[in-house]
Amino acid sequence: MFRLAAQRGIANKLAGSSRALRASSLYARCRCSTWKQTSGPSLPSAASWGNRRGYAEAAGKFSRVKPHMNIGTIGHVDHGKTTLTAAITKVLSDKGAAKFTDYSQIDKAPEEKARGITINSAHVEYESDGRHYGHIDCPGHADYIKNMITGAAQMDGAIIVVSATDGQMPQTREHLLLARQVGIKKLVVFINKVDMIQDPEMLELVDMEMRDLLSTYNFDGENTPIIMGSALAALEGRDDSLGKEKILSLVQACDDWLDVPPRDLEKPFLMPIEDVFSISGRGTVATGRVERGIATKGAEVEVVGLGNTFKTTLTGIEMFHKELDRGEAGDNMGCLLRGVKREQVRRGQVIIAPGSMKAVKKFQAQIYVLTKDEGGRYTPFMSNYRPQLFLRTADITVALTFAEGTPDAEEKMVMPGDNVEMVCELVHDVAAEAGSRFTLREGGKTIGTGIVTKILEHA
Amino acid sequence: MIAQFLRSSKPFHATRLSRVGQSCYSTAPSKPSLQHVAQLRKLTEVSISKAREALSQTNNDIQQALEWVKNDLAASGIKKAANVQSRETREGLVSVCILSGGSRGKTALGGGNIRAAMVELNCETDFVGRNTLFGQLAADIAHTAAFITEPTDSSTIIRSCSLDILNDAPLLSQNNPSFHSSSTVSSSIRELIAKVGENISLKRAATVVQNPFLGQAPNIGLRLASYLHGSVGSAPQGRIGSLAVLALQSPELARLLESETFVKDLERLERALARQIAGFDTCSIKSSDGDETALYNQPFMMLGGDGANEPVRMAIENWSKRQGLVQDGEGGIEVLEFAKWSVGDVVG
Repeated sequence: MFRLAAQRGIANKLAGSSRALRASSLYARCRCSTWKQTSGPSLPSAASWGNRRGYAEAAGKFSRVKPHMNIGTIGHVDHGKTTLTAAITKVLSDKGAAKFTDYSQIDKAPEEKARGITINSAHVEYESDGRHYGHIDCPGHADYIKNMITGAAQMDGAIIVVSATDGQMPQTREHLLLARQVGIKKLVVFINKVDMIQDPEMLELVDMEMRDLLSTYNFDGENTPIIMGSALAALEGRDDSLGKEKILSLVQACDDWLDVPPRDLEKPFLMPIEDVFSISGRGTVATGRVERGIATKGAEVEVVGLGNTFKTTLTGIEMFHKELDRGEAGDNMGCLLRGVKREQVRRGQVIIAPGSMKAVKKFQAQIYVLTKDEGGRYTPFMSNYRPQLFLRTADITVALTFAEGTPDAEEKMVMPGDNVEMVCELVHDVAAEAGSRFTLREGGKTIGTGIVTKILEHA
Repeated sequence: MIAQFLRSSKPFHATRLSRVGQSCYSTAPSKPSLQHVAQLRKLTEVSISKAREALSQTNNDIQQALEWVKNDLAASGIKKAANVQSRETREGLVSVCILSGGSRGKTALGGGNIRAAMVELNCETDFVGRNTLFGQLAADIAHTAAFITEPTDSSTIIRSCSLDILNDAPLLSQNNPSFHSSSTVSSSIRELIAKVGENISLKRAATVVQNPFLGQAPNIGLRLASYLHGSVGSAPQGRIGSLAVLALQSPELARLLESETFVKDLERLERALARQIAGFDTCSIKSSDGDETALYNQPFMMLGGDGANEPVRMAIENWSKRQGLVQDGEGGIEVLEFAKWSVGDVVG
C-alpha cells in the first residue's frame, strides 16, 4: 500500500528537505481536518477551544443541521430596512429561532460602515423551520460589489424593502440592477409601513408597479412573493395581523421562493493539485485539498488545465497514512492516478469529476482593483496590462483588456479602487467556470481580485 | 388617456387594473383611481401618497394634478429638504460642461474663447448617484454654471463659482436649451430631494469663463481638457473629474490649428493629460525634481506608446517639436492650471 510516510521517505532521499517540509505540513493540515462537521455538533473539545480563544460565547454552538443561506436587505434609507431586520429577529426569537437584535446593535460600530471597510455581514442571524439565515445589509452599490468580488459578503438572495407610502422610488431601479449584477435570480419584496396609508387600494398599485418593474429587470414579476406588512408593528408587538404574522409569512416566502445554493458536498468533485509525487512501484500521486464534492476510489476523473487535459482513474485515495474509500470537500488527500506519468501532472491543474468543468483561455470577469491603502497599486493601468493571475493553485500571466466594442478602449484607464468588467486572456489554459474567484498580483503584491462572470473561449 | 395607459401596460396587469378601476368608479367616483395614480407617477415619479393627494385635490384631472404636483414639489421639497438636511452626503457625481473648448482653426484664428464649468453634486447613497434623474440634474447644474457666470477680474483662469449665485440662478437644461423652466437650481435640487427622499447638496462649482489672451496675443491660444472617471453612462460625469487649461504658443499657431490631423493629435494629447491628472496623485504642475505629485515630473503613462516612460514635461516638449509647434526655439505647449475633484473630497 502506498503511504504518505513512504512518500516522505522517498522524498527525503530524493529531493532533500524542501519537499519533505511540504509533505509534513500536509500532515499538519490533515490532522486539523479531523475536526469536521460529520463529527457532530456536540464535540466537547471544539467548544472548549472556543472558550479559550474567546470568540464564541459558551452558549452558542453553531448547528449545521439546517442549510445556510445569506440574505440581504436592499432598499431606500427611510423605508425601514433596519426596522425589518430587527423585527425579523424579534418575531423569530419568540420561537427561540433567533437572538433579538435591536436597532442599535444592527447599526452598531459606525466605523464598520465607513467606506472602504467590509460591510459587517455576520452579526445578524436567524432560523426558519427549514433554514439558517445570515443577514446582510447593503448600504451602497460600489461597496457591495467590492464585497461580492472579494468574497467578504455574499448574498444568495435578497429582500427588497419598499414603503407603502412612497411606493417604488426612482432609485429602486438601481437596487434591482445591483441584484442583477451580483447574480441574484430571485427576490422577495416586503412592502413596509402598510399601517401608515389610508387607502388600502393603493397597495394594489404598489404591488402592480413592483411586479412591472421586476419584470422589466428580468426577474419573475408574476410569481415573486410580495408581502405587505409593518415591521414597526411587529417590533412593537401590536397589530399582529400586520406585524408578527406578516414577518412570519415573509420568512416563509424566503424559505419557499429563494433557492439555497448547493452545498460544497453536493457539487461535482474538484481538487486543485498542490503537489505531485511519484511513488516507485505504485505510480503518480497528486495531493491537494478537496474544494468540493466527493470522490470514491475507482472513480473516473479528469485532470484539467495547463495545456494538458486527460481522463484517468482514481485508483487510490489516502489521508493520514491510511487508505480511504472516499474523499470529500475539506479533505487534504493524495490521489493515486492510474497510468499517469509524473510529468503529465502539475501544480495548477485540477482533478475533477469528468466533464464538470473545462479548461478556459479567455473569460470575462468582474475585477476589484485594490487601493494603495489596501496594499495595491499607486497608479492606474490601461488596456493590455499583464499581471499574474492566481486561480486556486495555478499562477498564470494574464492580459487584461476591455470587452470588444468598448468605445475608446485604448484610452480607458482603470484606477485603484475601481471595480470593472474586463476580459482576461490567459497565456495557458486553466480550469475555471463562472463564479471562480482569482487574485491578480504584480511584483509580489496583490493588486486586485476578481470573479469570473462569463467564459469566452475554451482551450 | 386611460386607454393609452392600458395599452402600454402588460395584459396581465391591464386586466387587474381594469377590474380595480371599475370597482373604484362604482363605489366612490371622487376617489382617485389607480390608473390615474399610476399614470401620474409615471409622468412625475412622485410618491404614491403625493400622487393620490394631487388627484383628490384636482378631482381626478391629470393635467391639473400635474400642475398641483409641480407646485407641491416646491413646497414639500422645502419640508423634506429641511428634514434630511443634517444627513451626511458623501456620494454623488462630478459633472463637467464645456461650452467652448478654446482655440479652433477656422473660426477664431489662434484665439477663441473658453467657457466651461465643473460642479460636484452630492447625495447619500450611490444608488441615487447612479440614477438618471440625479445625473441629469448634475449635468444641468454644470451647464447652468458654465452659462451664467460673468467674467470677473481674477488672477486665475479656473475660479470657484459662488454657490449662492448659482443656487438662485434659473436651471438651464443641457439637452433642451430652448426650454425655460421656472425653477432655480436650488428649487430643482429640492424637487429631487422630494422624489428620491435623500439629502442632496451642491458642494462646489468652478468655472472658466474668460481667455485673458483673447485678442491680445495672436500667437497664444488656450484650450480646455477634461476627463471624468467612473461614469455610469456616457455623460461627462463621474466620481473623479479633472479640468485643465492648456496654452499653445507658436508663430504658426493659426495655420496649425487649421490642420485636421494636428487638431486630432492635439486632442489626443489633451485627453491623455487630463487622464494623467485624474489618474495620478497630482497636486501641482511644476515642482522640484523627484516630486511625483507634480504633473510635469510624472512618467506620462497615459500617453501610451513610446512616450509612456518619459516625464510629462519631456513628452510634451517632444510632442511640440514633432508637431512643428516650436519654430526657431520659440513656442510650445504648457499646462497653465488644472482642477481635480473626487466625490467625497474634504474641502477646507
